[in-house]
Amino acid sequence: MSLSERMLKIDRRIIFLVIGLCTLLPLLYPVGLPIKISSEVRGVYDHIESLPEQSVFLLSIDFDPASKPELYPQAIALLRHAFRKHLRVVTMTLWVSGTGMADQLVTQVAKEMGKEYGTDYAFLGWSPGGQAVIINMGQDLYSAFPSDYSGKSTKDLPVLDGVRSLKDVGYMVSLGAGRPGVEEWYVFGKDKYKFDLGGGCTGVMAPGLYPLLRSGQINGLIGGLRGAAEYESLIGQKGKAVAGMDAQSATHLAIILLVIMCNLFYFSLRQQRG
Amino acid sequence: MIFLRRQLPLLITLVTGLLFAAQYYVPHPASEQMLTSATKWLQIVGGFALILGVTSLFHQHAVKIRRQEAGWGYSLVLYVGMLGTIAVGLWANGKESVEGTMTAFGWIYNYMMVPLQGTMFAILAFFIASAAYRSFRAKSREAAVLLVAAVIVMMGRVPLGEYLIPLSGDVSSWILNVLNSSVRRAILIGVSLGAVALSFKIIFGVERSYLGGGKE
Repeated sequence: MSLSERMLKIDRRIIFLVIGLCTLLPLLYPVGLPIKISSEVRGVYDHIESLPEQSVFLLSIDFDPASKPELYPQAIALLRHAFRKHLRVVTMTLWVSGTGMADQLVTQVAKEMGKEYGTDYAFLGWSPGGQAVIINMGQDLYSAFPSDYSGKSTKDLPVLDGVRSLKDVGYMVSLGAGRPGVEEWYVFGKDKYKFDLGGGCTGVMAPGLYPLLRSGQINGLIGGLRGAAEYESLIGQKGKAVAGMDAQSATHLAIILLVIMCNLFYFSLRQQRG
Repeated sequence: MIFLRRQLPLLITLVTGLLFAAQYYVPHPASEQMLTSATKWLQIVGGFALILGVTSLFHQHAVKIRRQEAGWGYSLVLYVGMLGTIAVGLWANGKESVEGTMTAFGWIYNYMMVPLQGTMFAILAFFIASAAYRSFRAKSREAAVLLVAAVIVMMGRVPLGEYLIPLSGDVSSWILNVLNSSVRRAILIGVSLGAVALSFKIIFGVERSYLGGGKE
């Protein structure tokens, strides 16, 4: 067996080890390379910046723990920004398996920013129906969520004063890891009820949402850990996303080198065989 | 019986299909009220769908355990896990914490579900790297184009790539914004037109497979 053949049939555990090391070492010894801000992420940031104080900001945390590494830092950065701007923050989820995580996330950031439940923010929880919930919120928010996650009547929450439906929301961002997610919020929400919409998603989903971005159907997109790192840089509060970028850089480079190597061996083998 | 099994569902589909398609263009309060009521119903039906899903899952795995089919042990684990979670969930009234104290349901969620889902997703990185090494080869011109585009986007999406090849960020952004967007838009338009055509076929009773089989 030639070298090329042996290299092409390399034990996959060696590849696993390379990827493991490329992830672990930068996390232990961060380099902190500068992160360039994309126009997609700046779109969301600028819109929140432009909102007047006490505007209603709706954040739909449409993911479960499987997508936590990418979307959790996005949610934290967005909430920090919204709280810093003194917006009225209303949060919810369309993913039942993400309810507990979303509750912890919102409570944690609100506590850190010294915000009071009911007055400054609320967590509506989860309601069954997927896209039907979006339409129902567009018609009557209190019908879709008669009570919040803790069981309090939503009509009694001061944070929702003057809010009857999605039409009264200043800005809405869906952080989606699939369906229902950003696309559903556009199709069943923004298109009919005319509110400003931004999106956040996992890295693999981002290319699929570019058509919505380019046509102005969403005014910004935070894609994957990179997007979260850009947002953390914009708000000047670096967190887990920025820390993870070195690991992602190293892993991407390792995969690129592996692909180049595999092609070199492949062509060398082809040449040997004529 | 044929009327109940065939004609009535077709009639309901025709009437509701046309009604709600028209509703979108009628902003009258009565029309909006109808939509509000219908979405409320949809949410309630959505809740029942969840019960139906759980029941179906229980039934499927009960059969596997009873027949002791290959991998029936996993079904048993699923049964124990699901019944256990439902029991502690009901006990804790669906709350992960009460007055700052974590409930058993919260413990299961935080220390079992969260790390397990995270691990499953994280493992993908290792398999993707291994699969890329084994199969990402420039065997044809099309594969070579795909390979070059993937390498550029991978470089352009991380700070190290942009640091090593400063142009990679802009090129990657162009690929995503122009090439990717236009192709995806074409696919979306095609899929949407297909969905419209299928909706018409269902509304007018041409497509009836959703009614299921069985004797007329």
